[in-house]
Amino acid sequence: MNELTRQPTTLSGSVAVAGAVVAVLAAGIGSGYGLGIGFLGLATLAFGLIRGHRGAIDIGSLTIFVGVVVSGLQGESVELTVLATIGVVLAWDLGQDATDLGEQLGREAETRRLEAVHIISSILIGLVAATVGYGVYIFASDGQPVAGVVLLVLAAAFLVVALGSSHRRNNWKGRNR
Amino acid sequence: MSVRTGWLALGVVTFLGALIVLTGVYSVGIGQGSLIVVGCGLLLGGVSALSRRRGVREQTGTPDPERTYHVPTPGTSLRETIGQFRQATGDYTVMSRRFVDGLRGGVVAVLTRFEGHSVEEATTQLETGEWTADKEAAAFLSESVDRPSRPLRKRLAAALDRETMFRVGIRRAGASIAVVGYGRESARSVPDSLPKYEEADEDERNSRTTTKQITGTEQSRRRSTEYWTGVGAVALFAVGLGVLAESSAVVLAGVVGVGYAGFARAFEPPVPEIDLERTLGTEEPEPGDEVDVELTVTNESGRLLPDVRLIDGVPAGLNVTDGAARVGTALRPGESVTLEYTVTARRGTHDFDPALVLTRDLSRSTEQEFYIECETTVASNPVLRPIASAVPLRATAASFSGRLQTADGGSGTTFHSVREYRRNDPLNRIDWNRHARTGELATLEFHEERAARVVVLLDTRKASYLAPTPDERHAVDRSVAAAGRTAATLLENGDTVGLAAIGPSRSTKPATSSTHDPCWLAPGAGRHHRVQFEQLLASHPQFSPVPPERETHWYGQLRTLRRRFTSETQVLLFSPLCDPESLEIAQRLEAHGHPVTVVSPDPTAERTTAQQLARVGRRIRRFDLQRAGIPVVDWGPEETIDEVFARMHAGDQR
Repeated sequence: MNELTRQPTTLSGSVAVAGAVVAVLAAGIGSGYGLGIGFLGLATLAFGLIRGHRGAIDIGSLTIFVGVVVSGLQGESVELTVLATIGVVLAWDLGQDATDLGEQLGREAETRRLEAVHIISSILIGLVAATVGYGVYIFASDGQPVAGVVLLVLAAAFLVVALGSSHRRNNWKGRNR
Repeated sequence: MSVRTGWLALGVVTFLGALIVLTGVYSVGIGQGSLIVVGCGLLLGGVSALSRRRGVREQTGTPDPERTYHVPTPGTSLRETIGQFRQATGDYTVMSRRFVDGLRGGVVAVLTRFEGHSVEEATTQLETGEWTADKEAAAFLSESVDRPSRPLRKRLAAALDRETMFRVGIRRAGASIAVVGYGRESARSVPDSLPKYEEADEDERNSRTTTKQITGTEQSRRRSTEYWTGVGAVALFAVGLGVLAESSAVVLAGVVGVGYAGFARAFEPPVPEIDLERTLGTEEPEPGDEVDVELTVTNESGRLLPDVRLIDGVPAGLNVTDGAARVGTALRPGESVTLEYTVTARRGTHDFDPALVLTRDLSRSTEQEFYIECETTVASNPVLRPIASAVPLRATAASFSGRLQTADGGSGTTFHSVREYRRNDPLNRIDWNRHARTGELATLEFHEERAARVVVLLDTRKASYLAPTPDERHAVDRSVAAAGRTAATLLENGDTVGLAAIGPSRSTKPATSSTHDPCWLAPGAGRHHRVQFEQLLASHPQFSPVPPERETHWYGQLRTLRRRFTSETQVLLFSPLCDPESLEIAQRLEAHGHPVTVVSPDPTAERTTAQQLARVGRRIRRFDLQRAGIPVVDWGPEETIDEVFARMHAGDQR
């Protein structure tokens, strides 16, 4: 009888760690504080991935992100901060994905294809979002009024909230059916 | 709907405002103050949304169809196991006292049986602590023995240890009883380390995907996984902080997060049309054979399924021994994926349960649960293959000639004795050599060979569904397999064999749910009888491989059976002997003049003190039966029935 190993799957898990490392390094170039906080988060994340602990993955990723923000506040490079953000979101996303897959299917099951789809889609979304944001940034730094940029970001935020409430509504309907 | 529209309107208005400002139609003099207000608002929103994440993140757990239903190991409850040694006094005592009393009873029980002491001697030894080499165990069970003083280092270690003195005492006492109880000279050695006080509770996973009857595809649930909950909040937080600190890098980091939050909400999970096809290596394997299973999963819908997680409904009675019965994949339209794994067949008819399919959308934020049916059946029936060595029967017999050697002298093939000639003795049995030598007439006696009339009786009460590890073959399974082979052997030798069981059935109480009579096949012989025997063993509900839910009122069943037995019927009882009732069944049958032989598959383990004591208890019962003249064939978990009977035949009465 072979027991199921309900631990995070290896492919997603390792990509998550890679993302986190990229994030920590990118943040660390900008500031020493960012590097320190990032390493703390990286350790927590790695622990969460080894033990399959969701809370540790959440906290670890959040800590790395705090490091990224600190480095963004101190540092000059916008590009590195954006890269680090993609890395940390990727780490968080794939860390959770690995935990989910591990718990539902176990390490023995063949899941590489599914994981590949997840990894690619996550990276793509990050790149698209970063490109759009960076485009607006370039546009705004051409001497556009700050208020306009802030309003644009606010608009995006409101639209996200609106989409979110529609989502929840659907879900509620689905449950009632 | 109004909330959504409101937010949407606000978003559109802000966007338009942004456009107006950016195109320079109207310019807002934005000061530090309004920036701070906006930033603080975003920070607050982020924190409040983040706090919502706590506890909402959950996901569908999956069952464990790879495993079989669990059967307990003897000694599940320490209280009951110790209780079997304890004399019922009737007065109330506290639990810890009861444990100590029970263990003291256990010491006396093993000393009187295996060391040859009388009860008084045993009690004296118990009080003086002479019975064991372990001073601490002796002190634990006797107040007149002082605890040995230990070095400071050990005492410190004990103080740091989480286990209480009481538990350590019980573990030590249990191990010391086992040293005596296993027999000091016995081959079965006592493990060096102490067994655990109790086993870590294994979380009971479901061994079936669903118990419902499903036809085709059935959607059971649709839920939000809350996978991305919080990413929007953190993003807003970053945007707010960036605005406050006037750091474009942080604002952009937030914008990336907002992008992911949008991604999380963009998709609807597709409704899968999945076709399953299952092929088996063989549909009728022998118990213990390996069966290859191949499951082909095909996406019949015209859409891409980005996230399919499938768990095959392996029957509850089968264990997956190789490969994995689950897969996670993405399927293009018309594409299929094949899942290969191996199960080990066990006795019984096993139907595959519907497969559990979980699909998610690309962003994994909504999950749907489906059951997809694909009917396949594995039927594995015991094979009536004769055993090479003779079945250990008692030497009483019916009046027909057969192959069972009795203790009586008469005609036969094996020399028994020589006696004085009596008139009318057959000529061919006169010892002519002796007549030639001395002139005296003497008659040779041979062991009479008769046919035995045997009833194979199986103990299938709930208490007999036991196995050394939860996934292993349980004692009833082993008994049924051995019963079939024993019967085949006996029938081949010309004996008459019947079949009966003491287990859950209707006759005991009309109100119970089961609707079948207890199994009874009168002793007989011949091809037709053999077929009947085989069918009953394969299909009678009393031999079900799944443990029954309720206890059996065995007393009435036993009485009915006894009335059916003729006087010269002997009984071959298959029982693990793990509770006092099994002992009583054997003793009652013997007392009513039916020679009983017990074949006892050993399901005991010794991972915990309770299991160790249960093993000692079983050995005590075996000893008691043997002392009463009932032979017990002990059948260890590693042995085959052929080996056991060969060993018995070789004369090793362990």
